[in-house]
Amino acid sequence: MRLAIGVAFLAFQIAAIVYARYVPSRYFCWAPFDMQTEYWLEVTVDGRPLNGQEIRRRYRRPQHGVDNRSPQHVIDIVQQCEERYAAAERVRVRMRYTVNGKEERQWHWPPR
Amino acid sequence: MALAPALKPVPQAPSWNPFRCGGTALPIPLLLMVKLVALTLLLTNHVRLLPDPFLPFIPGLDLLLPPLVFQRILQTVFVASALALLFNRWVRASSLVLGLTILLAVVSSKAYYGNNKTFCGCLLFLTGLYEPKRGTLLLRWQLIVVYFGAGLNKILDADWRSGLFFENWAANRLRHGLYMQAAALLPPLALAKIMCWSTIIVELTLSPAFAIRRAWPLAIWINILFHSALLLFTGSTFTMFFYAMNASVLAFISWPQNRLLVIYDGDCGFCTRTRRFLERFDLEGTLHWTAYQSGLARRYGLTDDAARERLYLIEEGRIFAGYGAFQRMAMYNPASWISIAILVALPWDDAGIVRRVLVAGFLILFSPLFVPLGESIYSIVARNRHRLSSETACPVDRHGA
Repeated sequence: MRLAIGVAFLAFQIAAIVYARYVPSRYFCWAPFDMQTEYWLEVTVDGRPLNGQEIRRRYRRPQHGVDNRSPQHVIDIVQQCEERYAAAERVRVRMRYTVNGKEERQWHWPPR
Repeated sequence: MALAPALKPVPQAPSWNPFRCGGTALPIPLLLMVKLVALTLLLTNHVRLLPDPFLPFIPGLDLLLPPLVFQRILQTVFVASALALLFNRWVRASSLVLGLTILLAVVSSKAYYGNNKTFCGCLLFLTGLYEPKRGTLLLRWQLIVVYFGAGLNKILDADWRSGLFFENWAANRLRHGLYMQAAALLPPLALAKIMCWSTIIVELTLSPAFAIRRAWPLAIWINILFHSALLLFTGSTFTMFFYAMNASVLAFISWPQNRLLVIYDGDCGFCTRTRRFLERFDLEGTLHWTAYQSGLARRYGLTDDAARERLYLIEEGRIFAGYGAFQRMAMYNPASWISIAILVALPWDDAGIVRRVLVAGFLILFSPLFVPLGESIYSIVARNRHRLSSETACPVDRHGA
């Protein structure tokens, strides 16, 4: 029984490694420290811009930070946070980000 | 050759002493591994990072309990199971519970999610599934999967293949002076490419190496050197990665089944004092000291002249002399590794510098490459040992503890 649980546990990780090849996120696929994502968040709620502290409270991420993972992980947090916890508010998010120091990109919520 | 009765393992009951690992449901190296993880989790105050549910990977986890209650339960179980491990109580169950607590924390919050925490959780959880008949099979495959995933993710990433990742990390993020000076001497991205490809090769080599028993000693050393090099380069432990990845190799270590025979000069006061000093730290009773004058050394092919000149350690038929014998004594003492982990994990003021010095020092002391220099120092001390102590051993000491 213990062996079966352990094998299933390891099989899940191998499946996650394979799955990660087909999606931009890198969860549970053993990709530690694989990217350097620097990002800046600009958020308005019902027309009012949020300051750094309010952004940190809302997303548990700093307004400007460096994540050692895919930018999709920050995008997932912002998007899912708005979808799950703030449906009644009129929220606009602009995230500027660079990956490994390359050209700057932008992501918007709601999508344009 | 029949084993001397004194070399048979000493039966033990679990001790409350956190520096001891014998007499529990887990083999010594395995308990040592999970203890090192639990200890460094506690010393780095990881409990404060345990989250309340926030965008969980498993839907509904954030609806089970009020967030603060969920977080407090995680923290309480985390501390209780980590302390139980440290004090050798219900070690297998404690490892399982601590591992599940960390994994639950990981899947309950995308803000908390991280590879180093997940890896700690995996090690503890799989140790909790330990069965004597299968040994450390699951843990060994965990290492194989981790390195396979890490290497694959990197080799399929264009920024790793081109060196761009390392260039941006070392030059722009870390502003690493030594790297920037060295890189300036080479064509653009050349050094970064070397570093990226070295990492990819190491990771993709370690994955199969941990699957082949004969390659384990090499894989263990590459693993330790790789993670120590990262610490020496950055001064950072990458949260829990340095501790957990180095501790994980204990799943590949074969610990001596019998006591180690230490043969020393019973007529030398300095040697006898050294024996008494080291016996104080031999908490598991791993060492059986005997003076060469007892004649036991001859059973292992050692002449009296040879045994008079150097200290010998006999580990299941293999003979180690001088500095190498002291290395073995330290290596097979869980208290050594627990003390090293405490020293490295303590919240030093200049943590980056202190950790670099400590890790470099320990690497040198335990490295096989240092043995020739260690031997030279040992020889100088051994030649002058009668001058170092006026004490003469009493006849009782000659026959060991």
